Amino acid sequence: MRAYDYISLLQGAAVTVSLSLIGIALGVPIGLMLALVRWSGVPVLGRAVAAYVSVLRATPLVTLALLVFFALPNIGVPIDPVPAAIASLAMNTAAFNCEIWRAALTDFPRTQLDAATAAGMTTGLAFRRIVFPQIWRISLPGLVNEMTLLIKSSPAIAVVGIVDITRAAVRIGAQTYEPLPPFLAATVLYFMVVLGFVRVQRAIESHMDRKFGFA
Amino acid sequence: MTREFAIVWAHRDRLLEGLANTIWLCVLATILALVIAGPITVALMSANRPLRAVARGFVDAMRCVPFLLLAYIVYYGLPSLGIRFNNWSAGLCALVTYNAAYMAEILRGAWASLPREHVDAGHAFGFSGARLYWRIILPPVVMACVPVIGNQMIQIIKDSAFLTIIAVPELTHEASAIQSMYYVPFAAFVAAVALYWLLCRIVETLVAAVERRAEATR
Amino acid sequence: MASAAATRTSEPAAAAAERPVLEVQGVWKKFGEHDVLIDVSLSVRKGQTICILGPSGSGKSTLLRCLNWLERPDHGHIFLSGQRIGYRAGSELPMTPAELAPIRARIGMVFQHFNLWPHLTVMGNLIEAPIWVQSRPRGEVVAEAEVLLDKIGLREKADVYPARLSGGQKQRVAIARALAMRPAVLLFDEATSALDPELVGEVLAVMEDLAKAGMTMVVVTHEMSFAQDAADEIVFLDHGRVVEVASPEKFFREPDTERARQFLQRYGATTRRAFRDGA
Repeated sequence: MRAYDYISLLQGAAVTVSLSLIGIALGVPIGLMLALVRWSGVPVLGRAVAAYVSVLRATPLVTLALLVFFALPNIGVPIDPVPAAIASLAMNTAAFNCEIWRAALTDFPRTQLDAATAAGMTTGLAFRRIVFPQIWRISLPGLVNEMTLLIKSSPAIAVVGIVDITRAAVRIGAQTYEPLPPFLAATVLYFMVVLGFVRVQRAIESHMDRKFGFA
Repeated sequence: MTREFAIVWAHRDRLLEGLANTIWLCVLATILALVIAGPITVALMSANRPLRAVARGFVDAMRCVPFLLLAYIVYYGLPSLGIRFNNWSAGLCALVTYNAAYMAEILRGAWASLPREHVDAGHAFGFSGARLYWRIILPPVVMACVPVIGNQMIQIIKDSAFLTIIAVPELTHEASAIQSMYYVPFAAFVAAVALYWLLCRIVETLVAAVERRAEATR
Repeated sequence: MASAAATRTSEPAAAAAERPVLEVQGVWKKFGEHDVLIDVSLSVRKGQTICILGPSGSGKSTLLRCLNWLERPDHGHIFLSGQRIGYRAGSELPMTPAELAPIRARIGMVFQHFNLWPHLTVMGNLIEAPIWVQSRPRGEVVAEAEVLLDKIGLREKADVYPARLSGGQKQRVAIARALAMRPAVLLFDEATSALDPELVGEVLAVMEDLAKAGMTMVVVTHEMSFAQDAADEIVFLDHGRVVEVASPEKFFREPDTERARQFLQRYGATTRRAFRDGA
């Protein structure tokens, strides 16, 4: 592999990491909002969210990306590859994150809410000051796990023409007729990215353990 | 819009063939992955340190690699080592290898949480070796794992869609072919999504049914 | 090396001539830095019911678990009908689990927490080991299992899963499961300690019937009534040593050692009174 190839791979890595991060940055809060809609028991919207989550969790990322990229222009919404990739990543991870947040919310002791209400807090205030600070810590391992899964399914965005790590590796292999070295280099890159996320998660957990006595 | 769906309906044979391929691929991959996971789990729980390290290395490696990359390595990379697969076999091989690691980890988790007394009783009655695993350890482990294995099967179904990139004629590939030939992207992919959703619901229903039967023993 | 004072009562001459079913010679065991068993020796003859008594932490369970090699002694020997357990004949090489299997098949064990196999019915639990470890024909095993279930009064539960049984029922099934292997000796590891008080009686009744019928049994228990009524010999363990070996009559009325007396004061005061009054 020439130096030029390494640079291509790193460019692919930059694409993978940046698009994944944007997808995560969108998907985590959207997932929380979806979970809140279901948790608060809003009638029609709650069922709609449940249906959305059920479908999105059953849909492969590849199929979703193809749907978004090819179908939206067809119904009058033009879309470029990068926004299409971000949209499908975000939609997909939001559905999984919704379930992760929901698990923490349903396990949250109602008694604490009673205490907040008795103290005169509105639902919004209680959520901001009492519920959220606890559930984000509880959900963290699940959320980070989902982030690593997102990165591992990110090669799907190659079907809409984006050159991520995997596609860059395939290109290099096709050009040099030596596919294994770039593939192995790509594996190392993914491994490093995933490891990075896991390290950050462990650091946050041990910090919380030290500060609060629980993780 | 209805015109689009009508076109897809007219070519439903192709779509259903893709669905059949997906089902066949995933069922085969699940069974083979479970079969291969068995010995890997035994290795993971073994007292033999080198064996345990090798098994652990394999499982951790598969959990770090994106599935598509593994599929590429099997399909494009192995030929340079002399092993040539067609795209179907490469896809199946990648699915099986990848998920055998996950299944092994699932089985290991359930095995490790077997109460010690359960295995003690097996030992006390003279069970050892293969008989101990088959008759005493494996049945409660597999029963405990059914919902998680069901989840993994859903994951296999979704991973199979990646294989469209190496031209395996599964559901997404066929939907893609229909949409590019007849310019019906929305209908084609919505139909594909609906079918994937249906598959997952079927798996979930099966898991629930097995769970209900297992309730008798709990 | 003088072991702690171990007093023996005189044995009937005829029984002394027979080779013991279980023979324990000078067993020592450490857990970490802690000596759990110190120079323990004991001998079980055919048809005898031995009760091992002692305060918590005296090593009773550990000793019992050494008898079928669920725990490995650090020093000493254990023999089953003259065959050395745990090491291949004439060498210091440890036995593989496969070599231990036929020995363990001849030693039945009943656990404190029953340890029934949850994925099998009651009948399934009884026939599993005889079929798969002893390779006996299924028809014969099932017939025998039905007889055993009759004896413990649980025939109608044959197709029920253990999760549906009460504690006392589970333990009776566990005893039947051990009997289904036609063992040479039965070990009981605090078989009633995990049971609600009102369920203890039904299990003790089964154990007493077995003792009267001539089964060779080694019983670790806190149930003094059982020890008095059904045991042929009491082995009193304290801090890992065999402190006293005596017949129940002697042990409960006039033990030789001070430690035994203290133990009885704490656990058996009422029974001693009953003995004295009833004698």
